[in-house]
Amino acid sequence: MNHEDIVSHELVREREWQAQERALRAERLGLDPHGDDARVRRYRLLAKALREPPATSLPADFASQVAAQAARSGRARKLRGGTLETVLLAGLPGALVMTGGVAMAMYAKTWLPAVRLALPTIDPQSLHWSLAFAGCLGLSWLLGALKPRDRTPTPR
Amino acid sequence: MDDIRRPDRELVDAVLANRPGAFERLVREHQRLCWHLILRMVRNPEDARELCQDTFLRVHQCLHQYRGECALKSWIGRVAYTIALRHLQRKRLPLAESHDDDGVSLVENLGDGFDLEAAWANTEMLRHLHEAIETLPPLQRTLLTLYHLEELPIPDIAEITGLPVGTIKSHLFRSRLRLRDALETRTGVAA
Repeated sequence: MNHEDIVSHELVREREWQAQERALRAERLGLDPHGDDARVRRYRLLAKALREPPATSLPADFASQVAAQAARSGRARKLRGGTLETVLLAGLPGALVMTGGVAMAMYAKTWLPAVRLALPTIDPQSLHWSLAFAGCLGLSWLLGALKPRDRTPTPR
Repeated sequence: MDDIRRPDRELVDAVLANRPGAFERLVREHQRLCWHLILRMVRNPEDARELCQDTFLRVHQCLHQYRGECALKSWIGRVAYTIALRHLQRKRLPLAESHDDDGVSLVENLGDGFDLEAAWANTEMLRHLHEAIETLPPLQRTLLTLYHLEELPIPDIAEITGLPVGTIKSHLFRSRLRLRDALETRTGVAA
């Protein structure tokens, strides 16, 4: 196809597009068709047919039905999410303690003799102080746990 | 935010805050677009109803992702289009047909004289025209519906379908030309 053919081709397309668009606008505005040429009149019939809504439609209560279903699904999702969170919160620390215990038992042969060797070298004086410090911490924690709780709500 | 998008944002915020009746209002405002779009894509009213419901449930689930970059109508239309598209893919139905020629050969196929009122009153001709629309591939039917029935501008259709503006124009041009040719054949037969 030479240059002239391409240009004429484009002109033909452009003229046809403009006829299609004129028909669409005229149909939307409900203009009198008497001034239209044959090409536009055909496109107007087409535009009129394309503007016709389908014969079937959604049920009158579609919106309320979908809204109710969405609310139910939302609650179910929240519940599933909440349950998952609870399981994770309770399960993960438990799993951590369990795997720690298993690892300690598995490698006991390695670390236990080393601990035994290290124990006699601890200075008895330091051991006494350490035990006293641990005792203080334990007592403080126990008193804190026994103290009646303040039930005043905290301001937000 | 554009003033034009403010009502969209307010409605979305109301839905996200679980305000009573807000989601129902959102559905009512956009169900027409979804229905026309999905029905044109899948054709079967039962499937279309189900897909419309899926669309709004998905919208309810993902509404927090709406950032207001486009109109809510286009955003919801995009969800509906994607859901209908997946349905067609599952059923292995082709979305569009390829065009080898640009349809210009049909342009000059124009008979003499055409009485618009008489043609409109001719129920047989109208039935034929609607049948011709139904024979178009799903994408072309949908683009024509969004442009003619929903009166959406081409850039909005591009947002819904994810197609370039030029591609949409080309589909509209060819589809209308093809339908006009079908009409021409009919009037030729009638004459």
